[in-house]
Amino acid sequence: MSLVGLLALGIGYLLILALCALAVERGWLPTRLVRHPAIHTLALGVYASAWAIHGTLEQADRSGYGYLAYYLGAAGAFLLAPMLLVPIQRMAHTYQLASLADLFAFRFRSRWVGTLVTLVSLLAVLPLLALQMQTLGNAIRLLSGSASQAWLAPGLSALIALFAILFGARHTHLNARQDGLLAAIALESVVKLGAMLALGAVALFGIFDGPGDLQSWLDGPGHLAQAETHPLAPAQWRTLLMLFFAAAFLMPHMFHITFAEPLGRRTLLRAAWVMPLFLLLMALPVPLILWGAQRLGVDASLTGSAYLAFGLSSSWWIGALTFIAGLAAASGTMIIISLALSGMILNHLVLVAHPPIAQPDLYRWLRWLRRALIAAVIGGGWLFYRLVGVHHDLSSLAMASFVGMAQCLPGMLALLYWPGANRKGMVTGLVVGVAIWLAGLWPSLLGGAPWLPPIPPGLEALADEPDWYLVTLVSLAANVLSFILVSLATRTSAGERAAAEACSVDAVVRPMRLPLVAANGLEIKRHLSRALGQEVAEREVERALAALQMSPLDGRPYALRRLRDRIQANLSGLMGPSVAQDIVDRFLPYRQDGPGATEDIHFVENRLEDYRPRLNGLAREIDGLRRYHRRTLTRLPVGLCAFGEDGELLMWNDALAGLSGIPGESVIGAHRDTLPPPWNELLGRILAEPASQLYKQPVTLSGGQRFLSLHKAERQDERATHGGTVILVEDHSEMKWLEDELVHAARLASIGQLAAGVAHEIGNPITGISSLAQNLRYDTDDPELRETADQIQQLTDRVSRIVGSLVGFAHGGRHVTGAAFQPVSMAEVTDEALHLIHLARSGEDVVFENRCPATPRVTGDAQRLQQVMINLLGNARDASAPGGRVIVAAEPEGERLRVTVTDEGHGIDERVRDHLFEPFTTTKPAGEGTGLGLPLVYSIVAEHGGQIDIESPPAGQTHGTRILLWLPLHREDAESTDEPDPDR
Amino acid sequence: MYVYRIVLFLVFAGYLFSPLLMSGWGSPGAAWYRPFLIWGGLIALTMWLERKRRLDERRREELE
Repeated sequence: MSLVGLLALGIGYLLILALCALAVERGWLPTRLVRHPAIHTLALGVYASAWAIHGTLEQADRSGYGYLAYYLGAAGAFLLAPMLLVPIQRMAHTYQLASLADLFAFRFRSRWVGTLVTLVSLLAVLPLLALQMQTLGNAIRLLSGSASQAWLAPGLSALIALFAILFGARHTHLNARQDGLLAAIALESVVKLGAMLALGAVALFGIFDGPGDLQSWLDGPGHLAQAETHPLAPAQWRTLLMLFFAAAFLMPHMFHITFAEPLGRRTLLRAAWVMPLFLLLMALPVPLILWGAQRLGVDASLTGSAYLAFGLSSSWWIGALTFIAGLAAASGTMIIISLALSGMILNHLVLVAHPPIAQPDLYRWLRWLRRALIAAVIGGGWLFYRLVGVHHDLSSLAMASFVGMAQCLPGMLALLYWPGANRKGMVTGLVVGVAIWLAGLWPSLLGGAPWLPPIPPGLEALADEPDWYLVTLVSLAANVLSFILVSLATRTSAGERAAAEACSVDAVVRPMRLPLVAANGLEIKRHLSRALGQEVAEREVERALAALQMSPLDGRPYALRRLRDRIQANLSGLMGPSVAQDIVDRFLPYRQDGPGATEDIHFVENRLEDYRPRLNGLAREIDGLRRYHRRTLTRLPVGLCAFGEDGELLMWNDALAGLSGIPGESVIGAHRDTLPPPWNELLGRILAEPASQLYKQPVTLSGGQRFLSLHKAERQDERATHGGTVILVEDHSEMKWLEDELVHAARLASIGQLAAGVAHEIGNPITGISSLAQNLRYDTDDPELRETADQIQQLTDRVSRIVGSLVGFAHGGRHVTGAAFQPVSMAEVTDEALHLIHLARSGEDVVFENRCPATPRVTGDAQRLQQVMINLLGNARDASAPGGRVIVAAEPEGERLRVTVTDEGHGIDERVRDHLFEPFTTTKPAGEGTGLGLPLVYSIVAEHGGQIDIESPPAGQTHGTRILLWLPLHREDAESTDEPDPDR
Repeated sequence: MYVYRIVLFLVFAGYLFSPLLMSGWGSPGAAWYRPFLIWGGLIALTMWLERKRRLDERRREELE
């Protein structure tokens, strides 16, 4: 193939890749397709680097099925996704950790751990980058037949770097979604898989006549060639499996694509079988290509066994297919490695050495720094290849890389499963392991004699084993041993313990509860702007507020702690966990003047709820019990709230939410002083009171006045670690009203007794007066005296009726006269009442106007209705100023007659108005009113099946009072003697 | 979790016994595709277990 054709092929492929990424970025493809889980799962195929295309051929030629270790090791890691990858993914997403160095720095609470892991990753990845470039260079050399790779391969590498810069460094946050990049990597997986399957098919059906023919060849002529392979010893095979198992999630590009990209949990769980299937399909063509080349008699010594695929046919398209498979595998690996490593170097080398405090235009600065680092990583890989890699075969480079990266495996396993591991142990183990790896494998890489570690007594047989095997065993053993010993021998800091619990698979985070110095989101912005500049601080705080759906004015300590955590996680995605923690510790500190920190129970509960699907067995049963008890408290029909020792509200149950009208979510986590009134004052009072109860406290709520009883209990366990107070809030309003009713009834009963006595005592003299008046009337002819006698009789009748009414009122409101209801004209009743009022000869300067029409009439007792009017008009007269007017009016309103008595007096005090119909309530000065008039009116009106209401002042007026009566209209067709039930 | 334990057991057993795969290369009478068949069987088993886990999870969510 000509050099120009090769150049066009390479550039054309990279252009298609760029076009794919661009189409996704610009939204030319439907989002449903772009964000399909299959795209992300396919992107995991970046694991299959150029080693999968060429290196495995080299290994299959040497050790037969030994090449499968590369695929089976990774398949094992994905099979264990629920136990291994999902917990790491959870941590990476929760704390915005974008790389292995971020994760280690977060867990071991040390920036130096992050720096160390970055350096180890950089050293381990250089041989792998060199391997990718070597395969590209050799492929170009084999296809073009010239040493032109000297400029073509670095040219392609530069294009790959440009692609990574354009599509991988568009966002400042390392965890930002990069759909374009993911789609391009997924396309690369499809291309390399398709190319490998095509090459396998060519071998199986083009060179052999199908599987049967292949089997015959293997059993026959091909058997000799296979006998030359040297199968790996079981121990070596297992060691290789472990190395590739570790590589599947520790290599920077695999960590980046699996955990830094927003891959869903379910997608990762599905990858547990999709990735092994992908790897199976990638592995299947390898022996077919090898056997095909062997049958054709391709001389492996000329091309190198890694490149046997080029010899399957002399057709140009076989070469092109192999070249594209290699380019797809190498470019994907180089792109993701450069992205991952640039982020690690930025966060753990550059930003640690030069913290970006008050850096103007921080986002832009970070973006350009990252782009420069991407170019530097690929440039560094190229230099390593030219200086070192070019002198070694693919296996040497791959082993050097994978053994180096495996040194992080003990740390990763401890991070997940050993909370007792500490920083000192991890650093010691890593340094020892890396030192052995560097001493054992790098001298031979760099052209010197390897230093092989001393072999312990009894294991002398290992002396004949390959270097990579010996170095792997000794370095990992020394790493693990020193890690465990130093961790056990040294102290673990509190911060590390907390981080260990956050990272442990079976632990739930138990954060502590401390108030922040900042009082709300706005203050957090102000504090943060000193570190990040105003614009960046505002954007970061707004982003965190939006993620938490919080208001910037929310001042709940719980909410502010969550905001701080979210900001720290977001900054971690921007600048790594070390710098992020420095910034929040320095600029968003906790208050140190309050009580000691206690556990954030509410947060723990929230986390437990999230964690629930992963609980099983006893843990699930215990959690079920916890939920049962919590539900009991939440659904308790009595209000319940709980406060921590620092006064922070930890629980607010449904009944209390219903009573107060305040949903629990809006107040849980708030300090008691910041609760809405009257709860802050009420709950503050019970918390401050030495007594543990407050009975029937009057409280004005939205539904009116309520009477609440509060009971508190101190919540102190035997270890005194969960202090605080739990408060029960009972609504005793109805009980209070019932008690008031009871008192009222008792008073009425005593009035009844009094009235009975009064009736008895007054009845007799009144009868006497009435008789004397009657005698006087008959004994005289003086018309004046006769009129006086009439009036005395009328008044004594009235007294008798009043006494009768009083007795009737005391007997439950039923009138006792026994008079039948008849049609009554309110105009006449009012006239009569006015006449009697005038006789009293007081209030003569008040003008009374009777505007009642003669018809329609109401059904009732004329005498008792007259009593009503006398009381109402008397009250109106007493309330009116001299010259004031009192107007009586009536008009039909549906089935009833609406009668109004309106005065222009001083009105009724609002506090008294609601109690006017209760006995002994009066607005008059002491001694002038009995407080029985209006209760009597009420009783009579109720007896008539009517209603009474008071407007003071009347609508549209500034003063005065209007009494409104509704009395049933008389219907000609109705039985006039029907007495309405007063209790109706 | 029981599903996870089965997977863990499978992976560990596979790790221990996988060296047996090596003997198939070039052995007369040994089908060349035998390792891939075993591997494919394991994938099918994992797929079934994953489906079972997903259904269990969904049922549990529905119950709650």
